[in-house]
Amino acid sequence: MAQAPDLSVRIAGVPLKNPVMTASGTFGYGREFSLLVDLNRLGGIVVKGLSLEPSRGNPPPRIAETPCGMLNAIGLENVGIEAFAAEKLPYLQTLSTPVWVNIYGKSVEAYARLAERIQEIEGIAGVEVNISCPNVKSGGVAFGVDPQAAHAVIRAVRERTDLPLMAKLSPNVTDITVIARSVVEAGADAVSLINTLTGMAVDVENRRSRIANITGGLSGPAIRPVAVRMVWQAAQAVDVPIVGIGGILTASDALEFLIAGASAVQVGTANFVNPRATLDIIDGIEAYLVRHRFTSLTDVIGSLQW
Amino acid sequence: MFQERVKVLWNTLECSGYYRIGMQSNPGYSRAKPGQFVMVRFPDEVTPLLRRPFSIHRLILHQGRTAGIELLYKVVGTGTEKLSLSRKGDGLDLLGPLGTHFKIPENTRRVFIVAGGIGVAPMFFLSATLEKAGVDLTESRIFIGGRSRDDLLCMNDFISVGMRTVHLTTEDGSAGLRDLVTTPLERAVAERAPDRIYACGPLPMIRAVAKIARRYRAPCQVSIESLMACGLGACLGCAVEGADPGKYLHACIDGPVFEADRLNL
Ligand SMILES: Cc1cc2nc3c(=O)[nH]c(=O)nc-3n(C[C@H](O)[C@H](O)[C@H](O)COP(=O)(O)OP(=O)(O)OC[C@H]3O[C@@H](n4cnc5c(N)ncnc54)[C@H](O)[C@@H]3O)c2cc1C
Ligand SMILES: Cc1cc2nc3c(=O)[nH]c(=O)nc-3n(C[C@H](O)[C@H](O)[C@H](O)COP(=O)(O)O)c2cc1C
Ligand code: FES
Repeated sequence: MAQAPDLSVRIAGVPLKNPVMTASGTFGYGREFSLLVDLNRLGGIVVKGLSLEPSRGNPPPRIAETPCGMLNAIGLENVGIEAFAAEKLPYLQTLSTPVWVNIYGKSVEAYARLAERIQEIEGIAGVEVNISCPNVKSGGVAFGVDPQAAHAVIRAVRERTDLPLMAKLSPNVTDITVIARSVVEAGADAVSLINTLTGMAVDVENRRSRIANITGGLSGPAIRPVAVRMVWQAAQAVDVPIVGIGGILTASDALEFLIAGASAVQVGTANFVNPRATLDIIDGIEAYLVRHRFTSLTDVIGSLQW
Repeated sequence: MFQERVKVLWNTLECSGYYRIGMQSNPGYSRAKPGQFVMVRFPDEVTPLLRRPFSIHRLILHQGRTAGIELLYKVVGTGTEKLSLSRKGDGLDLLGPLGTHFKIPENTRRVFIVAGGIGVAPMFFLSATLEKAGVDLTESRIFIGGRSRDDLLCMNDFISVGMRTVHLTTEDGSAGLRDLVTTPLERAVAERAPDRIYACGPLPMIRAVAKIARRYRAPCQVSIESLMACGLGACLGCAVEGADPGKYLHACIDGPVFEADRLNL
């Protein structure tokens, strides 16, 4: 029998045993899935987005199912960086899987202070910076849709930490390559995309939005073609590794991203639908490599024929 | 907690719009408690995409061992409509048992159970465990309310586990008293408050029951519904307002069964 194919990849200098990570906000702080998933098999765990202070989040209803997807406006409810370090991280440190902390702030200063704090905490493999948040100083426009603001955030984080840094891009932009170049220029070691697409759904019986926040973020299979397209465009534009995210339910979905140029993927909404999705995807990617006689995943990455 | 592919054992119409579905499950469900729920998915399908939560209605025993679970459900939309079309032998993806359960503290002798509409679903499982927990069934009562006669479910099942007093109400008067379920409840509580009240049903009913419980100082546990994506405490989609305004509770892990006074109803 031939040797098992090599699934390992490197993202921002962090070695992953396989390219399948969990997406922020869809896997809690990891432990929530420990009875169902062998967490040590995962390529990486990205935890729920953290802010300096605990955050209560938005009022309910926070979620609504839409065709082949869902809207969410959780409002970044989280325990805050200190409670994360004290209560959630010790468990994650018992795992062999690299743990990425996802951070967000409402000002450049808040991102900078988070980065400083994370630099002091042991046991974190890397930082994923969510730049899809509203920038309070510029009237609530998201950092991630403005190349200068995105640059400022990533630069501020870069200056405060030497941890591997991944910038998570918002798809709510006209040209993803402009933002991708700008965060790489500011010092990002990798880019992950996409975050949710802004959306809305109305209950016509009572003429109310189905989400209390009125608008929400669309995720799930409905957004996959948009995400694959953006990964493909970003892969042409920058030289750092790309982590593909958006509507991945199966190994074949994940392979679309890898072939389009992503070096790894994150699985989000699928964790709700099938808590074992990540493991099924890892097994499926391995089976695909065997079937196509690839010895290494790197043979597949960016192998789109055109 | 288990995620497993299970087979449908039966799926039968109970009365208009309500079904009972039996399915195999891991023998570990013998440790499931009344009030806990499961999340059901149609394997490999994306419509609906998310799992749907359902209370465990009862455990299916075979030769004294737990062989499966039964759900009682009402068709209200895409997911429940599709579930109603499943047939014996079909496969479902079952995740559970999940969430908190109804607690029967020691020395609980006399309880009142209040169920509105499909809210009876978890209450049958509860009633079936009362006797073992030392509750006096002859002194306990169940109050079942619905919009009309077709929404009053399981009356005979409660009798079959030994409950004697069943109060029925309908909003249209087609069966039982023409009233809200909380009217006979309040009368009975005022006469003599029970050691505990358990309630499941629509939110306005839960609110009214909690108010009665507070007024007569009867401990009260309620099971509430919320939209849910994961059922595991990961998505934070199921936020409900608790007594502490600083943070939300989450129906899937802090609930679905709560002490009524922990909630801001
Ligand atoms: C812990 C828990 C236990 C439950 N137990 C039972 C049960 O034993 N039997 C039963 O019939 N139903 C139960 N429900 C409600 C059941 O989950 C919903 O009726 C079901 O998800 C609707 O799915 P659908 O696709 O048919 O409807 P959809 O097309 O999704 O929606 C139709 C309507 O139902 C409402 N709805 C959708 N999801 C929920 C939900 N999770 N809770 C409340 N309303 C919802 C929608 O707002 C909409 O008005 C329970 C819910 C929870 C949270
Ligand atoms: C309920 C929910 C919560 C999320 N929370 C966060 C978050 O805290 N930080 C973040 O960067 N992305 C968050 N996301 C976005 C996901 O990480 C992911 O980018 C997006 O859902 C697209 O992937 P998917 O289609 O596989 O879900 C969240 C998504 C969902 C559905
Ligand atoms: S349903 Fe996901 S946290 Fe409760």
